Amino acid sequence: MKRKFIVGALLVAFTTLAQADITVGVTLSATGPAASLGIPEKNSVSLLPTTIAGQKVNYIVLDDASDTTTAVKNTRKLISENKVDVVIGSTITPNSLAMVDVVAEAETPMISMAASARIIDPTNPKTKWVFKTPQNDTHMSTAIIEHMINSGVKTVAFIGFNDAYGEGWFQEFSKIAEVRKLKIVANERYSRADTSVTGQVLKIVAAKPDAVLIAGAGTPAALPQVALQERKYAGKYYQTHGVANNDFLRVGGKNVEGTFLPAGPMLVAAQLPNDNPVKKSALAYTQKYEAAYGKGNVATFGGHAWDAGLLLEAAVPAALKKGQPGTKEFRAALRDGLEGVKDLPGAHGVFNMSPGDHLGFDQRARVMVQIQNGAWVLVK
Amino acid sequence: MDLQIALLLGQDGITNGAIYALLSLALVLVFAVTRVIFIPQGEFVAFGALTLASFQAGKTPGTLWLLLGAGFVVAIVDLVVAWRRRKWRRVPAILGWNLVYPALMAGLILSIEPSKWPLLAQISLALALVVPLGPMMYRLAFQPLAEAPVLVLLIVSVAVHLVLVGLGLVFFGAEGSRAASFSDVSLDIGEFSITGQTLAVVLTSGVLIVVLYQFFGRSLYGKALRATAINRTGARLMGISTVMAGKLSFLLAAGIGALSGILIAPITTVYYDTGFLIGLKGFVGAIIGGLASYPVAAVGAVAVGLLESYSSFYASAFKEVIVFTLIIPMLLWRSLTTRHVEEES
Amino acid sequence: MTPRRVLALFLCLVALAPLVLSEFYVTLLNYIGLSALVALGLVLLTGVGGLTSFGQAAFVGLGAYTSAYLATVFALSPWLTLAAGMVVTAVVALLLGWMTLRLSGHYLPLGTIAWGISLYFLFGNLEFLGGHTGLGGIPVVSLLGFELKDGRDFYFLIWVVLLGAVWLTQNLLDSREGRAIRALKGGVLMAEAMGVDTARSKIVIFLIAALFASVSGWLYVHLQRFVNPTPFGLHIGIEYLFMAVVGGAASVWGAVVGAGVITVLKQWLQDLLPQLFGASGNFEVIVFGVLMVVVLQRAREGLWPMLSQWMPVHSSRRQVPIADFLNKQCSFGGSELILEVRDVTKRFGGLMANNQMSLSVRAGEVMALIGPNGAGKSTMFNCISGVDGPTSGDVFFRGVSIVGLDARRIARRGMSRTFQHVRLLPAMTVIENVAIGAHLRGHRGITASMLHLERAEENSLLAEAARQVERVGLKDFMFEAAGSLALGQQRLLEVARALASNPCLLLLDEPAAGLRYLEKQALAELLRRLRDDGMAILLVEHDMDFVMGLADRVVVMEFGEKIAEGLPEEVQRNPAVLQAYLGGVA
Repeated sequence: MKRKFIVGALLVAFTTLAQADITVGVTLSATGPAASLGIPEKNSVSLLPTTIAGQKVNYIVLDDASDTTTAVKNTRKLISENKVDVVIGSTITPNSLAMVDVVAEAETPMISMAASARIIDPTNPKTKWVFKTPQNDTHMSTAIIEHMINSGVKTVAFIGFNDAYGEGWFQEFSKIAEVRKLKIVANERYSRADTSVTGQVLKIVAAKPDAVLIAGAGTPAALPQVALQERKYAGKYYQTHGVANNDFLRVGGKNVEGTFLPAGPMLVAAQLPNDNPVKKSALAYTQKYEAAYGKGNVATFGGHAWDAGLLLEAAVPAALKKGQPGTKEFRAALRDGLEGVKDLPGAHGVFNMSPGDHLGFDQRARVMVQIQNGAWVLVK
Repeated sequence: MDLQIALLLGQDGITNGAIYALLSLALVLVFAVTRVIFIPQGEFVAFGALTLASFQAGKTPGTLWLLLGAGFVVAIVDLVVAWRRRKWRRVPAILGWNLVYPALMAGLILSIEPSKWPLLAQISLALALVVPLGPMMYRLAFQPLAEAPVLVLLIVSVAVHLVLVGLGLVFFGAEGSRAASFSDVSLDIGEFSITGQTLAVVLTSGVLIVVLYQFFGRSLYGKALRATAINRTGARLMGISTVMAGKLSFLLAAGIGALSGILIAPITTVYYDTGFLIGLKGFVGAIIGGLASYPVAAVGAVAVGLLESYSSFYASAFKEVIVFTLIIPMLLWRSLTTRHVEEES
Repeated sequence: MTPRRVLALFLCLVALAPLVLSEFYVTLLNYIGLSALVALGLVLLTGVGGLTSFGQAAFVGLGAYTSAYLATVFALSPWLTLAAGMVVTAVVALLLGWMTLRLSGHYLPLGTIAWGISLYFLFGNLEFLGGHTGLGGIPVVSLLGFELKDGRDFYFLIWVVLLGAVWLTQNLLDSREGRAIRALKGGVLMAEAMGVDTARSKIVIFLIAALFASVSGWLYVHLQRFVNPTPFGLHIGIEYLFMAVVGGAASVWGAVVGAGVITVLKQWLQDLLPQLFGASGNFEVIVFGVLMVVVLQRAREGLWPMLSQWMPVHSSRRQVPIADFLNKQCSFGGSELILEVRDVTKRFGGLMANNQMSLSVRAGEVMALIGPNGAGKSTMFNCISGVDGPTSGDVFFRGVSIVGLDARRIARRGMSRTFQHVRLLPAMTVIENVAIGAHLRGHRGITASMLHLERAEENSLLAEAARQVERVGLKDFMFEAAGSLALGQQRLLEVARALASNPCLLLLDEPAAGLRYLEKQALAELLRRLRDDGMAILLVEHDMDFVMGLADRVVVMEFGEKIAEGLPEEVQRNPAVLQAYLGGVA
């Protein structure tokens, strides 16, 4: 048994060396609470380039079921068994945070698809290996607050998921709100599976805020808004980019009409002005995704996986000159390459990486969107 | 908090509580007859709601495939047993219930467009699809273990719950659904308004509670079920089939679960895994009723609904912590007031 | 191969594994070890003790979070935080145990589900614990200046801890305290009558299981160096229980097997099933659920018993140890009054089960209580032995009133009994069953048992048990499972168990029922010898020949009242007795 193992492992090692394909390991949350984010990401991975600079690229995709332990286990497996050159993942912040130690130890670059800035900040020997593609919560929070202040909102109520998503949002949002003198009059939590949020909603209504921010992802984010509508709350509604999929529109129906949310530009790519560099690349992704998975099924989360692919496409050619895939040198060169990516338009924005910024997004990475007639409309 | 908020919270608590009460009744029923602590009850809630929502969205509900699959497996198991025991007379019934009925349902649903049907017909169709899963589940998972200790049955129950949640994700996906509202009527009393939906939930629950109460007190079937609950061997000696009683109680529980799901589908978004927590809260009610008394269980369930509603107002982040921590003193009180008879197995 | 060699081979494999296996398989073995430690607690709690918990993951979380918090915020050494985590867990477990363990049967698992959920949300909502997002930068454990940074190094720590815990658990189960714990599943009434404090035993195993989980959490957090609430949710708690049940909850090795099978299967299914179905989904959960149902339907004992049939791993002790005699609880002398029942009345609602009953038993006397079915003999027995107290009246045992005392305290005063419906632990050997009777004659506690520091006492207890087994004529069955004996032999076993406590008063509830003629004669002979040694014996019996040949005095009951009392010959001639037995209601 054991001997077979060793022989097998050697064989695998040998063949990978001989062919020197680039191996990309992916761990994402295709099941569990974050499944609605993880599934489009998983779908997008199969659209990523299969050859870069003439080298064959192999993708190994694992599901971590939104669970930190499994995410770490997957990462270790990808690194030690599959000898991956780079790890893409995971979908959610806790999983990504837990993976940082592992990839840093193995000196393998990692591109996270989770939102929190904590994954790449502050820069240290560990986070040196870690990059991410989604906008930081800060980016999105700033956009919302900007929009709120411009619309004359003075007080706001917050209701978010009772998990890492809601918590991350509240931290970022409250920080910036304090700076911008926006008053948070209520801070409520609810669970994904809750059947009623009447208690929270009554408290919010009683606080009489000018606007409500709902920090949830996917269809569950509709529940508080529906309940607020039932209580005839007449202020402004804000959602987060977590709702940017069509299921949300289906479940929310007329109750979510008029809602504002920040989102990656790809959500409204077709409406972007032609000179926006993101437009072309976002549309390319959208078309490719819809060709594979049916029209109207594209979700912004998949774009983060797509962008990870674009980053690799940009960084690999130079790295190939410094070392063979499968070697330490290649991984280090790939990391350096990723850090050096400049002016790369992705589905969600333009990447300008630097040693101090492993995301590299600027204002172009988010737009404000309003739901009008059951569709996403760019707010100009 | 002013009076209006208190009233609204009360209304919300009672609406949720009514659903918990319904579920707690089903749990008491199943436990009394089969000694199974019926954790998968919640999945019937989700399946009922999602099946109805699928019809309205013009999709074929995944529960149809579940029914076909489960029917197929049950048919095979039963046929093997019939063959071994040479009981050929059973074959038509086995085939009829487990293969022909699901096939007919499939034919019906695939040939017509349920989305164009009136609401009541959609509801009946959803029930006809989900409810037979109850007895099938009993046949496959619990019947072979009918004599096992409660704890073994409980572990099986949890296992079945996991299977159904997994299947729910496959069939309905991770995103939730809502059904169309039964009525847009709302009663306004001063500033306080009651929606028609809330009334429908509370009234249906109330009626069902009374019906169940009558069923067990008066009807022959009800009495037979109670007899099995009290003494399995005795009931068998009296010619009451424990298998039949088990299947019947699962049928009723599945029916109550699916109906609860259909009731809440227009009020809230239902996900493939919504049922578990709802079921668990129904449990708390059932526990307060000592898994034996229907009225006390119903009252307990409404109390849970109210507690939940008020705690989500005061400390929403800690709602779950509050509701589930308060179970412990409840359990403690239960264990101190009921005389403990050790189950010697 | 001897069992010892199998174990040695296994240990060698464990030791060599990280040297030959790849990083990932070492990682997998690490997680198997972590889960096995929790599952081991569940073996003790659920498999042996019969208490089901779905909430073990919460204890893992307590250990993990305590250590993570103290090690990051106060920069304490992980070894200190290990101790702190165990203390915190112990306090919480004692509190929860105190509340939930009073709950009977199915209430306990429901309670564990409840606090499993509430602790999970509590972890997620406490900001100082990093909330739902988690807490990172947790330091590595260093041992003698060597940092256990690598998964391979950590492997040894995990498996040494796990194997240590297996050793401790196995020691515990093979001891006086262990027998008391094993009696929890289906033998509480009997164990209490033998003087076992079953409530204490329950708390003890609950605490041990929680501490194992806590240590597993500590290991987890320093291996992962990141902590957030997801690994401590209810679904993980359920998974731990699955591991124990699938592996075989009755054996310590079942935990290791179960953790291995489930962890590997999960890994394998997560890779395989999505490829098979071409879509995402929690397919492995479906497979686990089905697997669980099949295991419980087809092989309720789990995989380990099946595995162990293929390997010679069963080493049951086949020798009675030679040891010192135990101290005697009772010394007999003269014919002092041992038991006196005064005007005992017992009502069940409107039914008068005992009405103004009085009787007495002296040392060196066999007293028989007879009467037709339903005369109230068993009720009388229950009033004397503390199973159920009288409504009014008094019972004096060795001159002290014992009304209101529970069975355990009465046993402590030197009364022992057998049961009308045989109550023994069928899976345990005859000698072990009898040794439960000697429970009160030992005193070494849990810690000594776990470390096997109580071997001298244990040997004495077993030697005593063996003497009693021989005394009742079951010597040839000493190491057979008690459940394999014939009914008559099981009754004799009960007598031996009662004798092992060295009682002053022996209560025998229909000891001759189911015995063959020769066995009856032997039993009568034994009881006579005991009487001659000065023991007081009270027996309820239907077999008239047996009673009349043995008893010194007889009390006859009918309809809850005493209708006659006296020497056997007198009673046999008493017209009221003849009426009761022969005339019926005519």
